[in-house]
Amino acid sequence: MKHHLTERELIEYQFALASDTLTAKIAAHLERCGECRERLEQLKRKFAALDLLREEVEVSEDLISQVVEQAGSTQSEVRPKVIPFRPSAWFGAAAAVLVVGLLLLAPHLTRDETPTHKVVKGVSEPVEKMKLGYEVEITPQAGYGEKYAMKEKTLSRLATYSEGGTKGLRDVAKSELVEEEISEQAPFAPASAIELVTLPRRDKVQLTIYNSADLTLVRERRNLTLKKGWNWLQFMWANTLIDPTSLSLEPLEQVDKIDIQQLVFPARLRELGRWLIRSKVSGQVPFEITYFTSGLSWRAFYMGTLTEDEKAMRLQGYVRVGNNSGEDYEKAQTRLIVGKVHILDQIATLAKRKYPYGRPEARFYGLGVDTSAIYFNAHGEVPVLGKVPVIGRLFRTLEPKEIKKEGLSEYFLYTIEGTETIPDKWGKRLLSFEAEDIEVESLYKYDEERWRGQTIRFVKFTNDEEHNLGETPIPNGTVKIYSQADAEGYLSYVGGTSVKYIPVDEEVELNLGPARLVRVEPTLMNFKTDNYVFDRKNNISGWDEIRTWKIKITNTRTLPIEIEITRGLGTAYWTLQLIDPASMADDAVAYEKHDATHARFTLNLKPRNKRTFGYTVRTYHGVREETVSE
Amino acid sequence: MENTDRSLIDAHLRGDKTAFGELVRRYGDSVLGYLTQMSGSREQAEDLFQETFKRVHEKAHTLRGNHFKPWLFTIATNVAIDGLRRRRRLQVVSLNQKLDCADGRCEELGAVAVADNRYEPSQEAVRAEQKEQVRQAIELLPANQRATLVLAYYQQLSYREVAEALGCSIGTVKAQMYRALKTLAQRLPDVSGEMK
Repeated sequence: MKHHLTERELIEYQFALASDTLTAKIAAHLERCGECRERLEQLKRKFAALDLLREEVEVSEDLISQVVEQAGSTQSEVRPKVIPFRPSAWFGAAAAVLVVGLLLLAPHLTRDETPTHKVVKGVSEPVEKMKLGYEVEITPQAGYGEKYAMKEKTLSRLATYSEGGTKGLRDVAKSELVEEEISEQAPFAPASAIELVTLPRRDKVQLTIYNSADLTLVRERRNLTLKKGWNWLQFMWANTLIDPTSLSLEPLEQVDKIDIQQLVFPARLRELGRWLIRSKVSGQVPFEITYFTSGLSWRAFYMGTLTEDEKAMRLQGYVRVGNNSGEDYEKAQTRLIVGKVHILDQIATLAKRKYPYGRPEARFYGLGVDTSAIYFNAHGEVPVLGKVPVIGRLFRTLEPKEIKKEGLSEYFLYTIEGTETIPDKWGKRLLSFEAEDIEVESLYKYDEERWRGQTIRFVKFTNDEEHNLGETPIPNGTVKIYSQADAEGYLSYVGGTSVKYIPVDEEVELNLGPARLVRVEPTLMNFKTDNYVFDRKNNISGWDEIRTWKIKITNTRTLPIEIEITRGLGTAYWTLQLIDPASMADDAVAYEKHDATHARFTLNLKPRNKRTFGYTVRTYHGVREETVSE
Repeated sequence: MENTDRSLIDAHLRGDKTAFGELVRRYGDSVLGYLTQMSGSREQAEDLFQETFKRVHEKAHTLRGNHFKPWLFTIATNVAIDGLRRRRRLQVVSLNQKLDCADGRCEELGAVAVADNRYEPSQEAVRAEQKEQVRQAIELLPANQRATLVLAYYQQLSYREVAEALGCSIGTVKAQMYRALKTLAQRLPDVSGEMK
């Protein structure tokens, strides 16, 4: 093309109206001609105005229902395929012969009494009658939701849809089985105007909560009322964090007579799935529904109470189960998994990705006590005013539930005895284990490099039988340590920390934070250099540094203590000598090489006592390092 | 496995009413969108929508082959054009409406301005005005050009499908499309810098 493109050519090119040949020519021209490219861009901008009217139009469910109902009411008017033919003379003769033949045969024909089966049902049934059927069915059972006004939001939204809809489910369940063939042709969707809804309650529910991932396996048992033939079971998960792709449904009885055909997610109907069930039986059948959800979590925490002499501890383990899943779980058997699981996606992300909805706010509120557990206040604490009373006093009226534990290869499973009701947005604390008289060692540590001149207090014990523990690993969680403060049994807070997963037979040290009653003061008393070595050019190639340190330890506690002092030496080439060890012979200071660059001193102090010890450390530098190496 | 349109129609003809419901769900959005564009009013489009699927239901037995979508849009186009003719004959004016809002679109514009709060109020007003200009520009097109444009541009049917739906040749469709675009090029507002 030698000329510039006309408006027509540009329009035809942009809207694919031109022939292939012309399109190729225009494209080639546009590659060369900047002016035409600019005009094409202008044209595109002009027609971009058309997109202002490009709105997402969605048909409302009401409108669809109206249309389907309208079609249903005129179903009988649907005409079968008509094959047109033209009558001819020979056709008239053949018809006459046929009529005569039929008249002759008529007396010999017997009447077939077998009732005929109508595949298409209910098209002319009044809608009111059908509605009556399900209104009866959805009547809640007595006592339902009395305590918490539980909204069985998700799985209570289970709804079975009858394909034909000519009979209420109750009628079907009670009536004699009518031997009729089930259509092999599955219905495409429940007919909207003839939905029969039942709201079966959960009979049982089991939660398996993994704390390493935001993942909970829910297994529910429900009695669903089926009719013979095709049934639709509707499942809604609006405002919950259920992963719809994980839904599974299995009959627990009549397995050979019930076929779960498919789970469909109807277009435009978000947060809703429908199972198509082909049943050869009618009546109630128990089903198990399983799915993954997120928003349920648990965490462990521990409360240790030291005896007055701090040589033994009582340890109580708790688990706190939180429910932010958007769903209430009533009387659920709860199992807790310790250990990491490998999952491909976060369930919450899965739930949000295709079916967007907001995550419920993670708040705990409300306060109430039932006979099985403690509820938390808005701050996640047990509400007690003033001093914290002895644990036994707090719980003496409560019967703690036993948590059974069992190993699951790389995981560990805790099963909470009995069932628990965990409403949405609530947290619940349960006693996990309780161990008395755990022998503990109190230990103080000083390491300038780690704690900047502070002395840190530790409590040490082992998760084994000798320490009245060792039945199970201890899940990671927070520990708060109290010590008995007076004869009345009130406690004083000693410190708290978080612990990592403690396997059986593993030793654990709990860091309780700075100990202000135990002070360590190192002082550099002397510094000198020695043993210089010179190379051929008279430059210094090696030397020793000698430092003398005095360490003063003050114990103002009324209990004897053991303290561990770690000193960094700045090099791996060093030798150390305690000053006048003979003077401390009755309670000697011992030291060991902790690692290449650190020495560790261990000593005991009597109550309200001070001690001082010194040491001289010689460090080797340059070629003098070889002295130590040798 | 997804059921084909043909199998749904066959099932519908056998008396399975759920199949018809599935068809309505499958094509409802695009048919309603098309009818809204054709009629310029959501309310009227819903009436036309019901009429369209009523005709689909009644004439299902006449469908040959697998080309359900063009056939459906043929019916929708006929219904829309019938509707337009009727509307021209019978202009309904509400006593509550202002004189310059005879077809009730002023209310729609207001509703859009309130609902669509992605833009500043001043931008919103400009945008609403531009929308109205585009709507008017399309409405002023002859019915066959308008149908071609809406089917091809908004409903994204291929020109072959548009030709089937309108019962004409592809050449005719392209010619109508070009004429429609040429007219619109003169009438469309300049929205450069406004589009997202």
